[in-house]
Amino acid sequence: MMGMLVGLQYSSLAQMPNDAIYMKKNTICVMAAYGQSSWDEYWENTLKRENLNIGTNKTEMYMVMAAAGITDKLNLLVGLPYIRISNSAGNLLGQKGLQDFSATLKYKFFANNGITLHGALGGSTPMSNYIPDFLPMSIGLGSTTLTARFIANYKHSSGIYFTVHGGYTGRRNIKIDRDTYQAYERVYNTNEVAIPNTVDGGINLGYLKNGIQATLFLEKFDCIGGDAIRRNDMPFPTNNMVSNNIGAFLKYQPSHFGINGRIAYVTSGQNVGQSLSFMAGILYQFSIKGQSAGVTN
Amino acid sequence: MKKNQSIIHFALIAGLMILSCNKEIQDSNLVAYVPANLDDKAGTWKPYILANSNEIIVPEPKPVSDPTYLKELDSIKNYLAPRVTPENKAAIYYWGAGAVYRWNEIARELAAKYNLPPASNAEGKYPAPDAANPLADPKFPFANPPYTARALAYMCVAQYDALITTWNYKYKFNRKAPYKNDPTIQPLLPGTDLPSYPSEAAVVAAASYTVLIAMFPGEVPYLDGKLAECKNASLWAAMNTPSDISAGDALGKAVAAKVMNRAKTDGMTAANNQALTAGMIEAAKGRGIINPWISQETPLRPPMLPNYGAVLTWNFDKSALNAMRPTIPYIVGSAQFEKDLNELRYIQKNQTREQARIANFWSDGVGTPTPPAHWHRIAADAGVDSKFSEVRMARTLALLGTTEMDAGIACWDTKFYYYTPRPQQFGLKTSIGLPNFPSYTSGHATFSSAAATVLGYLFPNQATEFIRLANEINESRIFGLIHYRIDCEMGFEHGIKIGNHAILRGKADGSGQ
Repeated sequence: MMGMLVGLQYSSLAQMPNDAIYMKKNTICVMAAYGQSSWDEYWENTLKRENLNIGTNKTEMYMVMAAAGITDKLNLLVGLPYIRISNSAGNLLGQKGLQDFSATLKYKFFANNGITLHGALGGSTPMSNYIPDFLPMSIGLGSTTLTARFIANYKHSSGIYFTVHGGYTGRRNIKIDRDTYQAYERVYNTNEVAIPNTVDGGINLGYLKNGIQATLFLEKFDCIGGDAIRRNDMPFPTNNMVSNNIGAFLKYQPSHFGINGRIAYVTSGQNVGQSLSFMAGILYQFSIKGQSAGVTN
Repeated sequence: MKKNQSIIHFALIAGLMILSCNKEIQDSNLVAYVPANLDDKAGTWKPYILANSNEIIVPEPKPVSDPTYLKELDSIKNYLAPRVTPENKAAIYYWGAGAVYRWNEIARELAAKYNLPPASNAEGKYPAPDAANPLADPKFPFANPPYTARALAYMCVAQYDALITTWNYKYKFNRKAPYKNDPTIQPLLPGTDLPSYPSEAAVVAAASYTVLIAMFPGEVPYLDGKLAECKNASLWAAMNTPSDISAGDALGKAVAAKVMNRAKTDGMTAANNQALTAGMIEAAKGRGIINPWISQETPLRPPMLPNYGAVLTWNFDKSALNAMRPTIPYIVGSAQFEKDLNELRYIQKNQTREQARIANFWSDGVGTPTPPAHWHRIAADAGVDSKFSEVRMARTLALLGTTEMDAGIACWDTKFYYYTPRPQQFGLKTSIGLPNFPSYTSGHATFSSAAATVLGYLFPNQATEFIRLANEINESRIFGLIHYRIDCEMGFEHGIKIGNHAILRGKADGSGQ
C-alpha cells in the first residue's frame, strides 16, 4: 500500500473526480480496467532504501467504474477495485480482496469563455474486512473517507486544456485486530487508530477533441500530520505518507466503445514506495431515455 | 434543479460531519481505588534478592510532633495545596492508578519503542546495538522478547523486594499519612490507613528508575521526568510528606542496586555469543536434526540471542531446566512432520479472516511490547480489577515477571538445543512476520502457558480464562504460519512446568496464598 494506491483510485475512467469532463444528462459510461503498480525502493521516513526481504512489491488492481450524467452539470462517479499485493522476495503472505467502494458527485457551478469551475464531494468505505495494518501487504487502510474537491479548468477551442485541482480528505479512525500498537512515539492500548487526513492537488495539461484525450499531469499527495516509519520498522496506517507524481493519461473513444491508459511515477515521497504504475481500461458509453451519448467539457 | 441542490446540500452536511469527526483516541481510564486489603503483614514476605526485609536500613523518622514534620504538614497545607495546577492534578490521577501499575506500563512502552531489529549495513552485516551509544543506529537495546522478559523481571523483582522492605518499615515506625495527622489536609486520592513512611510511590519510582536506566540507557531524560513526577504526585496529592518521599527514594535505589548486581552477572552479556552457533548446529545434528534452522532473511541475520538459554533462571535451577527440556520434535521427512507441514499448507491456502485476526491479535512482533509484556499487561489489569495493594501488585508481577524470564530462558535453551527449521524453509509464507531464530519450541506457547499457569494460581477465579487465552495464542502461531503444531503443543507443556515452579515459590513466600 504505502500510498501508491491513492493516485490510482479513480484513474483512467472517461472522467475523474479531478477533471472537468462530464457525461451528458442520462448518459452512462462504464469501465473495466486492469492496473499494476510496483516499487523496489521506498522512503523510510526520509531515507530512501531497498528491502531485500520485500524485493519488488507489486499491486495488481481490477476495477469497475461508472460515471453517470444526472444533468449535464452534475455527474455521479462510482468505483470498486479488487486488489492483490505480493512481494518478489521474503516470506510475507500476499493479500487480496475487494477494497473500497467510492462514490463522488461532481458539479459544474461556473462556466464562461472556456473557464469552468467545479466542486466535487465524494466518499469511500471498505467493502471487505481486509487487514489494514499489515503494510506493505495490506490492500487498503480500512478507513471510511470523505473528500471535498475544487477544480478549475480552462479549455481553448483548439482542444488544449489546463486543469488545476485540489482536494481535502477526512479519514475516519480505523479498527485493527490488535488492542495495542505503537504510533506517534507512544503505545496505545486500544484497537482504534487515528489516521491523518490528507490533502492532494495537481495540474493537468492536455488536449481533448474528437474523442481523443491526451494529458500530462503532476500530482501531489500529502498527509496532515501522521508519524514516520521508524528505522527498519514496518509502515503503519498512521504514517505521514507523502508523494509527488508525474504521469500521462490517454483516451480514445470514437463512439460507444473506447480505450484508455494511464501511467504514473512517484518522483519523491516519504513513507511510501517509489512506485511506477500503469492502468488500461475498456470503456462503454450509452444513454438512457434515448439521449445521444457524449461527454461535455 | 431544486433536487440537485438538495443532493449537494445533503452531501455537504454529510461531509462536514465526517471531516469534523473526533480523532481523539481513548485508551486509558483507570481511577484510583482503595485496596481491598492493605496486606499489613507483607513485611514478612520472602524477598528474591535481599536476605530479608531488614537488610536495607531505613532510618527512624522524626516523630509527628517534631517541628520539622509539622513544618512539612504546614507546607503541604498552606503552600502546596493552594498551588496545585490542573497539570499537577492530571499527574496525580495518572499515578493514582498505582506506581507499580504505571511503571510496568512505562517499561512495556519502552520495550515497544526499542523492539526494532537492526537494519543491515552496506556490507550486508547487522551491526550490534551498543549500550555505550544507545541512541545511535541501531538503537540499544533491541528489546526483543527475551530482552524484555528479563528487563521486566528485574524491575518487578526490585519493586517487590523494595516494597516488602517498605511495608516492614511502614508498620514498624507506623507514621500516619499527612491527612491522618492533620485532618484539615484534604488528600486528592482516596485515603487509607496505610502508614506513610517510607512513601511506597517513591520506593517504586526509585527502584523502577534504577533498573530501567540500565535496561534502556537512552531514556535517562524521559525516566528522570517520570521519577520526579511520580514522587511529586504523591506529595501534591498529600499522600506523603517530603521526608516520606526522600526515605522511599533512598530505599528504592538501594534495593534496586542490589537487584542489578544479579543482573550484571546473570549471563546476559554472553547471551548473544554468535561464536557458539556452529557448535550448537553440530550438536543438534548429533541429536538427529537433519535440516538445521537457517535465517530466512537477506542478508542472513544472526539468530536472536542464541545463548540466552544459559542465563540464570529465577524459580528453578540448571538441573531442573535440563530435566524439563522438551523431547526432540518430529524430524523432517517423518509422517508426523509432513502432517504438521500439510496443516500449514492448508491454512496458507484457506486462512480465514478469524484465523488472521487471532494471529494478528497475539502476534506481538516488531514494534510491540512483546509477548511477555502482553502478559504483564493482562496481569496488571487483573490486579487493578482485584483492587490489589501496591505490595500485592508487586508480588503478582514479580511472580509473573520471573516466570516469563524463566520461560524465555528455558524456551531459548530448547530452541538452540534442537536448532530446528522454520516452516518457511519449506516454502511457507507468513501473515504476521517471521521471528529470526529456530522453530521448536514456540516462544509464544512457552511464555503464555507459563503465564496462564502462574496467573491461574494468583487469580483462581480467572484460571480457565487464562488457559483459554494461552490456547488461543498457541493456535495463533499456527494460523500465522510460523510454527508447526508440535512446536506449540510441546512449548505449552513446557510452560506449565515452568509456571508450576513459580507457584511453588509463591506458596512458600509467606503471603498466605
